[in-house]
Amino acid sequence: MKHVELLTAKQVERVHDASLWVLENVGILAHHPPAREIFKAHGCRVEADGLVKFPPEVVAKYLRVCPTSFTFRGRDPQYDRTIPDCGPVVVTGSSAPNVVDPATGVERRATSTDIANIAHLINELKGFDIFSISTLADDAPPGQFSLSRFYPALKNCLKPVRSNTPNMDDLRQVIRLGELIAGGADAYRERPIINHHYCPMVSPLTMDVDSTEAVMYLTERGLPVYTTVVPNAGLTSPMTLMGTLIVGNAEFLAITVFQQMVKEGTPIIYASLPTVADMRTGAYAPGAIETGMLCMAQAQLGHFYNVPTGGYIGLTNAHSNDAQSGYETGMNTLGAVLAGATLLNMGGLFSSLMAFDFGKAVVDDEIAIMNKRVVRGMEFNEDNLALDVIAQVGPGGDFMKSKHTKSLMKTTAVFPKVADRGMRAQWEAAGRPDAQSRARAVARGILSQPNAAVWAPELDAQIRAEFPGLVAGEATWKEDETTA
Amino acid sequence: MGNEAMHEQLKKSIVDQDEDAVLEAVNKALAEGMDPREVIDKGLLPGLNVIGEQFECEDIFLPELMQAALAFQSAMTVLEPKIKEAGGAEQKKGTIVIGTVKGDLHSIGKNILKLLFETSGFEVHDLGIDVDLFKFIDKANEVNADIIAISALLTTTLIGQRDVIDALKDQGTRDKYKVIVGGGATTKEWADTIGADGWSGSAYDAVVLATSLVS
Repeated sequence: MKHVELLTAKQVERVHDASLWVLENVGILAHHPPAREIFKAHGCRVEADGLVKFPPEVVAKYLRVCPTSFTFRGRDPQYDRTIPDCGPVVVTGSSAPNVVDPATGVERRATSTDIANIAHLINELKGFDIFSISTLADDAPPGQFSLSRFYPALKNCLKPVRSNTPNMDDLRQVIRLGELIAGGADAYRERPIINHHYCPMVSPLTMDVDSTEAVMYLTERGLPVYTTVVPNAGLTSPMTLMGTLIVGNAEFLAITVFQQMVKEGTPIIYASLPTVADMRTGAYAPGAIETGMLCMAQAQLGHFYNVPTGGYIGLTNAHSNDAQSGYETGMNTLGAVLAGATLLNMGGLFSSLMAFDFGKAVVDDEIAIMNKRVVRGMEFNEDNLALDVIAQVGPGGDFMKSKHTKSLMKTTAVFPKVADRGMRAQWEAAGRPDAQSRARAVARGILSQPNAAVWAPELDAQIRAEFPGLVAGEATWKEDETTA
Repeated sequence: MGNEAMHEQLKKSIVDQDEDAVLEAVNKALAEGMDPREVIDKGLLPGLNVIGEQFECEDIFLPELMQAALAFQSAMTVLEPKIKEAGGAEQKKGTIVIGTVKGDLHSIGKNILKLLFETSGFEVHDLGIDVDLFKFIDKANEVNADIIAISALLTTTLIGQRDVIDALKDQGTRDKYKVIVGGGATTKEWADTIGADGWSGSAYDAVVLATSLVS
């Protein structure tokens, strides 16, 4: 597929040069002392206050050793996904504090049981490739904040699981969980099935302590970790798309160079969540079209650097599964895939990452499948020109009866589960169900079935023995049919 | 081959939507001396029933339904002469005159419906596309039709359906026929407004509708 480009090749080079200028002259403020040491030891100038200045040749040197792909691994290897080749890879949105209760429709704090149910749903929805743990777990026992998220997620999903941890203790616990699942530390190093993600770059041009430490720790050990840069025009970056692109790109180059300095050849992703703040109120607007545009331009930069790109694209500010939710997720993700982005963190969240909704996840699955159809493309080849069938049916004939139609009718087009293609009378007879109620019915159909992805009782017993007091992590779908 | 095994083979060939296999099974059954009515009633129709059920629960799609119907139709070209030879009358559910209204050249939906009507046992007289309103009435009179089925895809030609019904009223023959309407531009409300006897949103449902109107 020919990619859509918002910038010319010359403009892309100018953005690169401008980013180098920022890194050399403005610099990055690194708060984590060991990170400053790494920068200093590998050719950067580090000033007394922790400001790191990057000579362009140092950036160039470490960009050269950067791999061109990144692999996500799941409990079942058939769900492993490497980008850009398997792209677009579709990921759920993550770490929302709340969930829209499936029984009452009221938003509340999310629990580990919600995570188990969501994991089951994402495991079954074909549009999703990776389960980024969608919510927090309000019922987490003391000292098990992250375990209470990763345990129900991994237990109920064979696809790659992705998320973050707030501190080193949690990170080590989660890796231990991975080792138990893999059958030992060596086996885990062979196939690390927890895919870590952090945002160590805090716009503008700053590196934090906790996430930087986690990224260093994982990179040193060769465990999969990637980062996202998050500039917000008008607040943490200039009020131009170009200025925001450059701030985000400088931050991406800084963290990428850092990871290569820690360990050369570490796979990375150029991931971002760029926004333009809504200056009427200062509101955060990840569903705005400018987010999609910035991701499109960033995809061009990714092609320039020969690294996979994407990010949190397809989020929405909407609070229900309404038209806004659909057009914000639909338009932005379509733009991103047309530009060649191969990672879309898009699924299941309302209110700018605040709440997970089961119906929204099902609609986003459908949007993901549509986007993947676009990327599959027109499938140009001589057979597909179908000249013999055109001649055989002839003017005024119909293709419905042709064997050619029958042989291709299940693969040429997407069959949506949510979109209604019946006639108005049928829709009215069915009680005028809207997209949300149709989507909820799909979720209900999946979650009322047993989850075959759950691991063996022996492994479960072993894990529970290692972490006493652990949450149950069972997918149990409870829904009041009268409110369904 | 026993009769039951033969019925099963006939049925399976229809369910497989395989025209060659249908013809092979029909010829084999006739060669073994099976009554042509038995070929239809015990073999082919049970196969079509399965196809209908599969279509209703979306196990098979419209082109597959069509191919099973086409296979059945080509079997009937072999079986009908045999039934007549044996002096048996064709059993039919009823007679339908079908066409697309004046000014409208769309035929595919109408053709699908025609095929399904025929497959389900109706005698169908197809007037084609761009049909003048009096052609519907004259043909219905000529063949002593039970049903006049009028298709319209375009919103601009929809009114042609009402014209047929109004003309029947003017002639005082409205009660002689059941008039059913359908096509992309139509709705249940439209059918009610013009005083049609029925409307259907799909070809498959139209067969159910027509069957209920003649029984």
